[in-house]
Amino acid sequence: MLDLAQNTMDGIAAGSAYALLAIGFTLIFGVMRRLNIAFGPSIMVGVFLGAWVNAQWSAGLIGATIATFAGALVASIYVERLSFAAIRGDAALASMASSFALWMQLEQGVALAFPGRTTAFPTLPPLLDVQFVGLILHGDDILVLTVAGIALFLLHRLIYRSHFGLEMRALADSAEAAAVSRVNTKRVAFLTFCLAALIGAVAGLLIAATDGQVSPKFGLWATIKGLVAMMIGGLGSLRGALLGGLALGIVEAQAQWYLGAAAREIVVFGLLFLCLIALPGGLAGMRETGAERKL
Amino acid sequence: MDPYLVSVLSNIGLFSFLALSAWILLLGGEISFGQQAYFAIGAYAAGIASAVWAWPFTAAVLWGAVLGAGIGALIAWPAARFTGVHYAIATLAFAELTRAALNVFHYQRDVDGYLTGPDGANGFGDIRWVYEAGIEPGPYLAVIATLLLAVIALIGLAARLDVMAQLRMVGEDPILAAMQGVRVLRWKIGAAAAAGGLAGLGGGLYAHFATYVEPAQFSVMTGVHAVAYGLIGGLGTALGPILGVLIDIGLLESLRALAAYRMIVFGGLVAIILILRPRGLLDETLVAKVRAWARR
Repeated sequence: MLDLAQNTMDGIAAGSAYALLAIGFTLIFGVMRRLNIAFGPSIMVGVFLGAWVNAQWSAGLIGATIATFAGALVASIYVERLSFAAIRGDAALASMASSFALWMQLEQGVALAFPGRTTAFPTLPPLLDVQFVGLILHGDDILVLTVAGIALFLLHRLIYRSHFGLEMRALADSAEAAAVSRVNTKRVAFLTFCLAALIGAVAGLLIAATDGQVSPKFGLWATIKGLVAMMIGGLGSLRGALLGGLALGIVEAQAQWYLGAAAREIVVFGLLFLCLIALPGGLAGMRETGAERKL
Repeated sequence: MDPYLVSVLSNIGLFSFLALSAWILLLGGEISFGQQAYFAIGAYAAGIASAVWAWPFTAAVLWGAVLGAGIGALIAWPAARFTGVHYAIATLAFAELTRAALNVFHYQRDVDGYLTGPDGANGFGDIRWVYEAGIEPGPYLAVIATLLLAVIALIGLAARLDVMAQLRMVGEDPILAAMQGVRVLRWKIGAAAAAGGLAGLGGGLYAHFATYVEPAQFSVMTGVHAVAYGLIGGLGTALGPILGVLIDIGLLESLRALAAYRMIVFGGLVAIILILRPRGLLDETLVAKVRAWARR
């Protein structure tokens, strides 16, 4: 019982990073109606730039953070221009294939610039672990949860309390109606892409700083985790993305503890497949139906 | 022929099966990130049949293809109700499940004093039927090429019989197709079975070409490549996905001077192609134009 509770807590910390990745995917899919599978690799570019800035000028966590945001933003804009803005509106498949092609570019670019298997990344400042009725809340996890919570709060304010958020939701609801209502759809789509990059960069930063290192496999890893969490939560729903990320984190932590690493993958993908069939609307779709809440 | 050239051409032929498999689903309006699962199933099934059960090559490869088709249909039965991202992720989940299961799949038996068979993450070696039968790489390339040509001919025949047109209808607008009396779900399951069988056939041939397979070879990367081949080469004809494979493996192998930058060159090239031709190089418009010109 205690193990179960402990795993759940550890899972929530890991899941909060998954949730941010899933939200990034959801934002892009919401306004574009297309899949950007180069999302993970774009974040990876940022994380590696952070690692490089740190190694070059021993910039520490602050410097690495700024560089991570800048790198993820630049890489995302590159993907947006070539794979989304430049491709005709009715060719969603072409955008996806193109984002895959740019993924290959980004991944090889990173592998060329950082030949090692892993590259060091500045770690989080040490915090004391908190003990609570036999459970251990790790200092790192507290920090991860705090940062993810702040990011989510700011995002929520932006989406539901600002004019830009209103435009974004209008675009997600219907591109035609938004255009008729004098929303500059191209500008809003571009800015949403940038917003997703920043959210993803927060996730990348938290993961890299917790591990203290990054590898060129991070791009694939982040794309898979984000997509899986998004689908568990329910495609197109921000609240679903949050729930899906946490659920994925908890399931992974439990399966890892009780069944081991090899069985964890089987459990996660088996459950994902069953979940997609049994719950096509995802966790968020259990309560809400239809299109009333696309973003 | 130069052994290196034979090996490159064999690889192009083998991955063409995988690319065609993803292409058939694209015509039916579905993106699959999971065709590598059927490639893996075909490779393992055919490998076990010939190396462990001592079946003849033809029966083993056929068994791999049949198993791929059967499982493809079985998975499509619930999954074909979905479209777009939903279908893509469901197939991805199944493929990763297959890969993870192969990682813990042990089935080793004593064959002539050696333990032979899949050994989890360590892979599955000694699929030596082709070498023991004394078939050189050159003639084996001919086997691959013949089967590939047979598949293309079969697709050509299906196009004559309006099978492909019906499938494209289902892909373009399932609701309209259903109103015209097309049984959409059956077509989608049928397409998934054909795609699974094609990938299984390719996998069985691949296992006997490489003599060694391991679960890590059948990762998501392989599956996404397979989809990309069709989208780059063009959706208009069965030659499209094969052109995609030729561009990836053929062109890049010939650009070995740029080896370190090959993915950067390839990625940039594909991005430009897709901006200019969103449905690939050999798209439907071009194919229709060529047909009209040929008829004249």
